[in-house]
Amino acid sequence: MTVQTYDAIIVGAGHNGLTTGCYLAKAGLKTLIVEKNDWIGGAAVSRSLHEGWTYSNCSYVCSLLRREIVRDLELPRFGLQVIPYEGGATFTRDNDYFAYMSDHNALEREIARHSPRDVDAYARFSQTVMRQCRFIRPFLLRNAPDPTSLHPRDLGELAFLVKQAHGLGAKELGETIRFWTMSIGDFLDEHFESDLIKAHLAGSGIIGTGLGVYSPGTAYVLLHHYMGDVDGAIGAWGFARGGMGAISRALGLAFEEAGGTIRTGSGLDSFRVRDGKVIGVALENGDTFDAPIVASNMDVKRTFLHHVDPADVPEDFTKAVKRFKIRGSSAKLNIALDRMPEFPAAPEGAPFLRGDLHCSTSLAELERGYDDWKDGRWSAEPYFDMLIPSQIDPTMAPPGKHMMTVFVQYAPYDLKVDGVRSGRNWNDTTRAALANCVYDKMEQAMPDIRQRIVHAEVRTPLDIESEVGLTEGNIFQGELTFDQLLFNRPVPGYSDYSTPIEGLFMVGSSSHPGGGVMAAPGANAAREILRRAGKGRAMPKVAA
Amino acid sequence: MSARFDVIVIGAGHNGLTAATVLARKGKRVCVVEKAAQAGGMARMTDFGGGATGPEIAHLLYNLSPAVAKDTGVAFDAQPLPTIALSPDGFHAEIRGGTLRRAEGTLHPDASAFEALDARLVRFAALLGQLSDKPPPTIAEGLASMASLRDLGGLAKLGLNLKRLGRDDMREFLRIVLSNAYDLLLDELPDGPVAGALAADAVRGAFSGPRAPGSVFTLMYRMGQGCDAAWPMGGFGAFEGAATGAGATLRCGTGVASVDVEGDRVQGVTLEDGTVLQAGAVLSSLGAEATMQLAGPAHFDIEATRRLRNMRTKGTAAKLNLVLSDVPDMPGLSDAQKAGRLIVAPSAAHVERAFDPVKYGRASDAPVIEAVMPSLTDPSLCGQGRQVLSAIVSYVPFAPEGGWTPAVRDDLTARAIDTLETYMPGLSGLIIHQTLLTPDDIAAATGAPGGHWHHGEMGIDQVLTVRPVNGLSRYAFGIGGYYLCGASAHPGGNVTGSPGRNAARRLLTDGIPA
Repeated sequence: MTVQTYDAIIVGAGHNGLTTGCYLAKAGLKTLIVEKNDWIGGAAVSRSLHEGWTYSNCSYVCSLLRREIVRDLELPRFGLQVIPYEGGATFTRDNDYFAYMSDHNALEREIARHSPRDVDAYARFSQTVMRQCRFIRPFLLRNAPDPTSLHPRDLGELAFLVKQAHGLGAKELGETIRFWTMSIGDFLDEHFESDLIKAHLAGSGIIGTGLGVYSPGTAYVLLHHYMGDVDGAIGAWGFARGGMGAISRALGLAFEEAGGTIRTGSGLDSFRVRDGKVIGVALENGDTFDAPIVASNMDVKRTFLHHVDPADVPEDFTKAVKRFKIRGSSAKLNIALDRMPEFPAAPEGAPFLRGDLHCSTSLAELERGYDDWKDGRWSAEPYFDMLIPSQIDPTMAPPGKHMMTVFVQYAPYDLKVDGVRSGRNWNDTTRAALANCVYDKMEQAMPDIRQRIVHAEVRTPLDIESEVGLTEGNIFQGELTFDQLLFNRPVPGYSDYSTPIEGLFMVGSSSHPGGGVMAAPGANAAREILRRAGKGRAMPKVAA
Repeated sequence: MSARFDVIVIGAGHNGLTAATVLARKGKRVCVVEKAAQAGGMARMTDFGGGATGPEIAHLLYNLSPAVAKDTGVAFDAQPLPTIALSPDGFHAEIRGGTLRRAEGTLHPDASAFEALDARLVRFAALLGQLSDKPPPTIAEGLASMASLRDLGGLAKLGLNLKRLGRDDMREFLRIVLSNAYDLLLDELPDGPVAGALAADAVRGAFSGPRAPGSVFTLMYRMGQGCDAAWPMGGFGAFEGAATGAGATLRCGTGVASVDVEGDRVQGVTLEDGTVLQAGAVLSSLGAEATMQLAGPAHFDIEATRRLRNMRTKGTAAKLNLVLSDVPDMPGLSDAQKAGRLIVAPSAAHVERAFDPVKYGRASDAPVIEAVMPSLTDPSLCGQGRQVLSAIVSYVPFAPEGGWTPAVRDDLTARAIDTLETYMPGLSGLIIHQTLLTPDDIAAATGAPGGHWHHGEMGIDQVLTVRPVNGLSRYAFGIGGYYLCGASAHPGGNVTGSPGRNAARRLLTDGIPA
């Protein structure tokens, strides 16, 4: 057994933990990151499970990563390269498709092919979404104001909010209120007439949530997926060259260059607390480390319900953590292909095949998928967000062969079998049945898909939870509903990354502004930690 | 033929009548024009024949604003009714005055959890209730005018009262106000008939299940004036009585064909029979889109017409009225409980499941029902020992796939009666007369858009500053002298009278041109 002392310890080497680590180490704190897996990255990993192929096992595309952070930490110097992809498509049952293209004129022609009236509608739609993106982006790298607090910092944040809102004007403010509270289905119904176009655009409103396309609040989730950028192109998405693990690798290298230490291979046993203050961590392998500052990259439920003695926090706080909703709603398939599958509907070499591909053709179909999930089943006709990144990034598969990533929704964590809902119902049989259901639906676009598969990794919500540690396999460490955003995230009164235990902080995406490989919670938390440690000036200005 | 008034009110629903009363009591010459033969709109009594009368559509009073009572002099002899959460296992629960007990009188295991939750919701609802008696707040006009300064004052008062709740309550309010009823209830209560009854209350009439964010707001909305429902003795006639008593003229039987506009000001209305009524101001208690159509879309900018057309108004509640030859057997309930508000919603999950089919144009397989037998409280409603059972049946689509054929109607009626029969064995043998009003029928009978209970979804994106739509939320409706005074205006549906009163007061502030 070893005891070592650090200035700060971070539990969990996910991208947020690594980000916090980088900022703390750069500020001169002797920082340790501990990680239960033998690799770093959490849900931003690239792993090779079949020789020659690399999978982005969990998260798979990149846009939300704040460029201020990329710049601060000089991530490109550590090998991070984000390659934008263009376009995408939704394939129908009758051998047609709707293609999204970044070329404006081509997109207009494609929309007009399905509905001439929707060309206008699209212009209004994208204008509204862009306006809301511009409104929200300045908030991502700031603490959420606590409206119940009279502290000058909170009042300052509140004043910033009011100023931004006032700048919108009366009508715009009304539209903003509506946009933030309505469902993506209603929002799209207001604009478009083509079911197919609506279905194509709706996916971003539900990805990662336990909500349906007609659940109020899903228009915000759409925004959550549109507010990122690649090289300043707002709303664009890209591949990290070498898979999402490249982000973690770059962060890890930056952290180590700044003097930080990473220890993989042993998970946390518990946070050590004395007299209401954190004093360090104890690992499962018996190692103990001391530090006056400890940050948890785990979600708020895992942190407080599994690794903290309930006696060390107020009962109300534990209650609030228990009712915080982290719902598993998605599964993931990573597939090695022997060659590019056939898309009979698409023109030869169509550029949109390099983007996100889908097979859900109406809002009703998507909503039905949600109904299945509510009842404890995976969607009979699942929605998926499917990409073949090896077309753009040849490092992902051997020459001529391809790698495909398929994000599947909805799949419940507590699967219902014989009337009983439980995570334990996920086993090899149910996992294979889920994969089969997805392949059936994929055949809508690629009739030969089953023949192309060399190897597939099928990850149920339970698998994601067991490996990555995300409760229920939820990709955002907590639902993105109003009651869990801004000053309510993760627990009212603790949206500033602090916890009832002095010195213990939350740096994962359970905290504001939430998930999506954004690194904003990690950076915001680092700012808060440094400020409280009297080292506020050590935080670079851009992210402050 | 032409006649001149100060104000014409379109529609003699309770909001139209309330607006007319407020104005008439201020000495204005008011004419209320109603298309139906009888006043009352959704709050009216009907004669089922054979000496039985009962409430045709709305059947309880629970959210009438005291400010409305004060400004109109409307007075009801309201008999409070207990709420009975019916349980398939026979262990029914009674909710009365914020307390919960088993129907047979013993302690309910969830009583303290329920009472804490209920008290919290009622406290928060009172805060929201404050917003009901004023036009919705607007902050965007900032300090531009005295009027908006007054609004800011109202908002500041709300903020102050919120602050006065104390920090923990304030935090809790801000957490739950936009969240969903299902999670809120099940965080505190086990899922069963009590959670089911509250979940059903949260979404009655709405195109939404209890899992939809925003359903806590609608639950609190109905608790705005306390949470107990009451039966108004004699029915809802007091609204009509107050209007005519204050001197308003009531013209029933002919609808309005158009609102006449000249130079961007209303001049009056033309009725369907060609009669022209002139007035300096027109208040419409119809739906928001119909109100726009009556004056003609040409008078509205394109954004406003688009928003009005997109207002969500898909009704989901049908009404089943039964005349019975006797009081049905209800095992486990006392006589006082039989007269209560009976809720069939075995669990919150059941309510959510009942919602699913309506999204695709089908009625619930196992409907959620709120039933009441007003004749038990008010024997004057029926003679010869007859009883009236009035039931709101959810969820029912406005336009089912394949339309409202007799077979579809019969099937729905049978399903609702079957559901009730679980708790009232032998019910079907007592039925002398039955009427089913689908959302489609309700729309036809009352003009309520989509047959919607609240003239439009009470989702967060359609309340307060954005009700009925962004830019038209403060009763003045685009054209000089034209006002919206029905449930599609702030604060929304239920028999509150608030939209009518607030609109009338707005008109009085603006002034009526001679």
